[in-house]
Amino acid sequence: MEALFAVQAILAQLEGDISGSLALIGYGLAAIGPGVGIGIVAGNAVQAMARQPEAAGMVRTTMFLGIAFTEALALIGFVLFFLS
Amino acid sequence: MDLILAAGACDAENEIICVPESVNELFELPFLGFWNRTMSLAVLAALIVVAILYFGIIRSKKRLVPTKLGAFVETLVGFVRNEIAIGIIGPEHGLKYFPWLLSIFLFVLVGNLFEITPFIHFPITSRMWVVPALLAILTWIIFVVSGFRHQGWHYVRDIAWPPGVPTALKPLVGVIELVSVFIVRPFSLAVRLFANLVAGHVMLTLLLVSGWVFITAQGGLAKIPIGIGWFVVGIAIYAFEIIVAILQAYIFTLLSAVYVQTSVHAEH
Repeated sequence: MEALFAVQAILAQLEGDISGSLALIGYGLAAIGPGVGIGIVAGNAVQAMARQPEAAGMVRTTMFLGIAFTEALALIGFVLFFLS
Repeated sequence: MDLILAAGACDAENEIICVPESVNELFELPFLGFWNRTMSLAVLAALIVVAILYFGIIRSKKRLVPTKLGAFVETLVGFVRNEIAIGIIGPEHGLKYFPWLLSIFLFVLVGNLFEITPFIHFPITSRMWVVPALLAILTWIIFVVSGFRHQGWHYVRDIAWPPGVPTALKPLVGVIELVSVFIVRPFSLAVRLFANLVAGHVMLTLLLVSGWVFITAQGGLAKIPIGIGWFVVGIAIYAFEIIVAILQAYIFTLLSAVYVQTSVHAEH
């Protein structure tokens, strides 16, 4: 119970202190998923190119496509940050 | 000339950064009876594309040995033709869409490279309704029309009522596919180009202006190394933006080709 009161007290204190744009936090959250996704896409593309160098051109095109699709989510977050 | 130079857009002697009055400037419609810097730059970009093609191909073809520019332009055009038009859409239909793909590739490329062109430093593709949204709408029209032309009524039916899906799931998948093909595709195509260029432009401006502010501000000498540090980072980002500009033009063209390919060929 005391711990709960302590947490409440901290939250009440923070309420006055935290300020700024919520959109910035939203953009940060929107960047997490695509960050992981682009890592997976690029990592697997490197693996594929290392295993089969003669297919590198095709893999690279597909990698750019995958990156473009994944990246769109982060970019929509970025635009919403401007719009909000 | 004032209209074209980036500094002409605001009172450059008193302000360090020319901040837009509101973010609405990024989204304003271009064809409402007024003329601004973005539109003059768009016309300039179109003229540059025409000049590149004229001097690179028509003039160069008259000689026995192509000029340096001619060889370069030929590589560029050959890349779009072989890798994008024929490589993605396929040899039988690819050449029909090649002029469209080549013109958006060159126009977006020149528009993106304005970001890092000295004295201009303004990517026209960072204004939503001047280039990205308009080109995305045109691509949308082209892939929808070519879908109807190649598959007829089956084009919409296969999207809204996809074959090969369990019947219970068909309405759900159909709705998702309809939204994703007809709404999300053009939207993400436009937003991808727009947001990449806005982000790069903002980042370059902040870094280089920070360097300038630190070096020229009043005070001791200690802040000059900090300003030089900002400049070094800014120049690194400058080089990175060259890659981004070329890559985004390539991705825009590539995705347009992929969308056309999905409507030209029936299965996937």
